[in-house]
Amino acid sequence: MREILGKLNKTTGIRGSMIVNRDGIVVASDFSVEMDEAGMGAVTSSILQALDGALKRINMGKFTRFLITGSENKVVVVSAGQAILLVLLNTEVNMGMVNVDIKDAANAVAEKSKM
Amino acid sequence: MGLLGFFSQWRTNSKIKSLESALQGRPTPVLYLQLADAHKEAGNSTKAAQVLKLGAARFPSAPEIIRRQAEAEKVERENEKKRLIDKIQSHPNPILYARLAELYKADGQIEKTIDTCQKGVKAFPKYGGTYLVLGQIYVEKKQWPQAVTELEKSVELDKYNYLALKLLAQVYMELSRPADAAQRLEDILYFAPGDEAILELLKKAKESAGQPVDPPRRASDDSRPVSKANTRILKIPEKKADNQRDKALNDGVAQLRTVQGVTGAILVDQYGLVVAADLDASIDEGLAGALITNVYRTAAANSVKLNVGEFEEGLVEGDSGNIHILHVDEMILAVFAKADVKMGLLEKSIRDFAGTIIQRK
Repeated sequence: MREILGKLNKTTGIRGSMIVNRDGIVVASDFSVEMDEAGMGAVTSSILQALDGALKRINMGKFTRFLITGSENKVVVVSAGQAILLVLLNTEVNMGMVNVDIKDAANAVAEKSKM
Repeated sequence: MGLLGFFSQWRTNSKIKSLESALQGRPTPVLYLQLADAHKEAGNSTKAAQVLKLGAARFPSAPEIIRRQAEAEKVERENEKKRLIDKIQSHPNPILYARLAELYKADGQIEKTIDTCQKGVKAFPKYGGTYLVLGQIYVEKKQWPQAVTELEKSVELDKYNYLALKLLAQVYMELSRPADAAQRLEDILYFAPGDEAILELLKKAKESAGQPVDPPRRASDDSRPVSKANTRILKIPEKKADNQRDKALNDGVAQLRTVQGVTGAILVDQYGLVVAADLDASIDEGLAGALITNVYRTAAANSVKLNVGEFEEGLVEGDSGNIHILHVDEMILAVFAKADVKMGLLEKSIRDFAGTIIQRK
């Protein structure tokens, strides 16, 4: 899992990434700066619950991805099989460029999480 | 601008950039304070207040930043009060009364809060947000029966109001009515499944009422039984009187729906009440508003913990479509679209509409 994150984090604009399970427990993480990783994992889980409920009740299918743009950074929360991939990005990042790498990483996490 | 002015502005902008960069690396309370000062120096007091707010959220035990943030907020509240009073005179609408009352409440001006709410209720009796603020005041004063009256009225007008339902449940508990509290909390879980604070309150309410406590359920758990409370809440609420809706906002929302691939749009105020909507008839707009508010509330409340700063916008993707969520002028705009919508076109339309909302302010 750490190898997947390490490879992903080489992409320009990505500040770090982590993998959490659906209950918010951190499976692996790799950030360039100090982070409250356990807190981020817990928060990701609660956001996911809100999203799952909303999408189901307005017939938009299963959750696949949530991109939050904030005043300081962006974060993408991606469904990756049994796990969740969270990627922290610079605000100026070119989303078109990083989307492919994030998708590849999510697929790799999904594969690993089956094992 | 003279050469000296230009040089001074260049120096301030460079300082801002350098401080922003330092904050990205290793944030400290001092850096937030310095950045706020630099924005103030550049004449941008709104940005300075935003920086202080972020700093306070990240360092809640740093006294200087908390003090400065409180000062900045007070100044902003005073300016906003003046603006709202003028706006109520020229173009009254129910949200303005509720917002003004909230500001008086934040400054501890209880009599003015009650007076503003009463005026708002008289002018717009079918808007639930004003009853909610009144209910909050009575809760603070521990006047439980009055609080129940106002909060029940708020919930009657908007069955999906998270704040009103939660507060009403807490008041029922104070009045030793745990079964009623449990029912209201179950109502919330329909549109905010997995909300830990609500689950905890529900557990206590059920224990007090002598009811069996269910194990916590996941949002994705389809086996969740629909309780009587949920049967009630699923009933499509009466269409709110159109005269309470702002025509310009409704037109703007309808305009968004004309973008190819957009299936609907909704504008919700800070209390979770629908301000304007254009959705498929199959979607209950009150429920959609509540779901969007819940997603927004969860994301915005945790954005600092996620290291993104203050929430600005979100894009939720499901396998059958997308939801674009934007925070604009203390309201939440959500646009529902098919997965194949042209993002560039949609984002431009959303920004145009957001610009219109801000200009109206």
